[in-house]
Amino acid sequence: MLFNSFTYLLFFPLVCILYYVITPKFRWLFLLIASYYFYMNWQPIYALLIFTSTVITYLAAYKLDTVKNLKTRKIFLFASLILNFGILFLFKYYDFFNNSVFEVMDYFGIRMKLPDFDLLLPVGISFYTFQAVGYTIDVYRGQVAHERHFGRYALFVSFFPQLVAGPIERATNLLPQFRKRIAFDYQKAIEGTKLIIWGYFMKIVVADRLAIYVNSIYNNAENHSSTTLVVATIFFAFQIYCDFGGYSNIAIGCAKIMGFDLMTNFRRPYFARSVGEFWQRWHISLSTWFKDYVYIPLGGNKVGKARHYFNLFVTFLVSGLWHGANWTFVIWGGLNGLYLILGRLFRFDSKKIQNTNLRRFQALLKITTVFVLICFSWIFFRANSLGDAILIIKRIFSATGSLFIADIGIFLYSNLAIFMLLLKDLIDETNIRIPLAQHKWFQFLVYASVVTIILTIGVFDGGQFIYFQF
Amino acid sequence: MKRFIIVILIGLSIVFVMDFILGKTLRHFYFTQDSGLQHRTTVSIEKTEADILIFGASKANHHYDPRILEDSLNMSAYNTGRDGQFVFYQTALLKAALKRYTPKLIILDFIGTFAYDQHDYDRLSNLLPYYEDHPELRDIILLRSPFEKYKMISQIYPYNSMLTTIAVGNLEFNKHRDFNINYDGYVPLHGVYNKKLDSVRTSLTYEIDDNKINAFEEFLTLTKQHDIPLVVIYSPIYYLYDRDFSIELCSKLCQKNGIPFIDFSRDKEFLKDINLYEDESHLNQVGVEIFTKKVGRIIKQRGLLSNTAADLKSTN
Repeated sequence: MLFNSFTYLLFFPLVCILYYVITPKFRWLFLLIASYYFYMNWQPIYALLIFTSTVITYLAAYKLDTVKNLKTRKIFLFASLILNFGILFLFKYYDFFNNSVFEVMDYFGIRMKLPDFDLLLPVGISFYTFQAVGYTIDVYRGQVAHERHFGRYALFVSFFPQLVAGPIERATNLLPQFRKRIAFDYQKAIEGTKLIIWGYFMKIVVADRLAIYVNSIYNNAENHSSTTLVVATIFFAFQIYCDFGGYSNIAIGCAKIMGFDLMTNFRRPYFARSVGEFWQRWHISLSTWFKDYVYIPLGGNKVGKARHYFNLFVTFLVSGLWHGANWTFVIWGGLNGLYLILGRLFRFDSKKIQNTNLRRFQALLKITTVFVLICFSWIFFRANSLGDAILIIKRIFSATGSLFIADIGIFLYSNLAIFMLLLKDLIDETNIRIPLAQHKWFQFLVYASVVTIILTIGVFDGGQFIYFQF
Repeated sequence: MKRFIIVILIGLSIVFVMDFILGKTLRHFYFTQDSGLQHRTTVSIEKTEADILIFGASKANHHYDPRILEDSLNMSAYNTGRDGQFVFYQTALLKAALKRYTPKLIILDFIGTFAYDQHDYDRLSNLLPYYEDHPELRDIILLRSPFEKYKMISQIYPYNSMLTTIAVGNLEFNKHRDFNINYDGYVPLHGVYNKKLDSVRTSLTYEIDDNKINAFEEFLTLTKQHDIPLVVIYSPIYYLYDRDFSIELCSKLCQKNGIPFIDFSRDKEFLKDINLYEDESHLNQVGVEIFTKKVGRIIKQRGLLSNTAADLKSTN
């Protein structure tokens, strides 16, 4: 079930009402059933995979909590990791690795290949696998106690608002909330509703509108000029932000209405002044996951410089691979790792500049530079293949020509959508206090207008969220 | 909880008022357009009373010049073809036309495929502005989704993403824009194709859409029920293909219903001259002149218009 489907607009209010009507003792059961129903709307059989992952991590965590012997504990931890990542590998990476190994062997004249499985990728497998694995590691480290209640733990893995595209929650944050008796909180519900409305705006008005232009250009890159490819890449930068940021807002908003606090996943990433800061604002739940479970175990920054940079680079390569079984994602990850390393090598202390205007100009310059660098990396993320990515980069630097606009309406809506998004982000970023905006009726009008804009220029046949494929 | 429900109800009331005002405004201006695609759809559904109606997608719209048919058959003609619209749209338009009058001849340009494509359902949004006034179209519109009738509670929804098109369609200058100059619905193409004749494409495998087959059969049945002569045409293309399930099925269905199916896809006259094409699937104006004349001649030769003005003219 998609958040941007009419079915979800019926499903969520119904779940919410029943959730508050049901006695708190059985709410976990109700939410668990609702979550599995939500997931089974895609491929019912794949709910078995979530269940399997839940059982494996539950049993492993139980053993990790009860067994004292370090060696045995390690065996249980690694068994859980191998099984969970094994399922992920089979469904997401097997064909990619099989083909890659074949190509390398073929280069040396050895033509041997294992059969391809062509398995349909289960929606959200990377998200719930990472969430469940994170829990197991936390129990192993003693940072969280094993959840004895299997039902509550199953709900932690499958909680429907964040099941298929995050935020990737931590047991320390979410599990205790399932144990509490939650009463309806008016403020939270209002906050949640605002987040949902803005999330839908981001997805339906911005992301899906931009996707029309981006897809038409990126799927025929060989026919387009440098100007067109640059505009399409900038559009993609906003598309992916709004597609995923929009999903996160809806997820956080829905959870909030039911009284749960999920972690923030995006904080206006395109206002970042360094690539490092960008990654503190972009897909925060995944970035912190990689920080806690990959980067720090590798040694983090508490090692020599060379090793520190190596740790950074490897973390980003793995993060790239997490996004998809394709070399384009690996390069995208590697490129971001490289940006971070270069950023640390050539760090510039802005405090040296005293003049306010100069400092402002410098901030603008930094924001623009980061945006350009990130946009460049998005080319690899969006391109259909590595060959396409290289072709696009080549054409950006060589193919002169005018801007391609097939439909002026789509182009106008796209620019209008980006303008509205940036305006909202700018107000949030600079914390500007507009007295009128604090008035309740003004807020009513603003959010009612946002809904009206969604109805007027939203794309209702936009379909899937990009991150579902991960 | 009570307070939250009140706030939500107030919010929904404001949205309802905004939706009503904007929706009604869009509706007004949608139907006052006097140029553009949407205007041509309105003419096809609500106004035309032409003797000959041409149905189809872009190939229909850009391949049949009603002026030539009018000359050769001595009857009025209107081209209802619309880019990117498949058999659902054509059947819907036929239903709307039949509610008003009975045409004397129908030409259906077969798009060439019964393949499933979700976009074809999405594109039915072009019929949403007519949902309210044309109950005969509702069955087809509801193929988009069973929730469509509930979505129609919103007054804006039928005109979603049409703001700029509606605005432009009401402007005088739009009438004179090249791609909007139409002759009884026909929009000519002027470019010349410059690629080689594509090699033989073997039959493609695709998922067949039963809804499309049903809609096509409904189209054939409706013309039979109203005793309207119908000719189904697969108009020229500039590529070679081996065999295709959809074309074979179309031929079979026509044969079963006693309806002539004329396949121009392998017609040598149109395969030998690249100058007749704008692209591999569309004839340019030069090609259209030759093609429409040929269609007119075939209609006469095959006696598809018995007791028509064309016959009366020839006997005189």
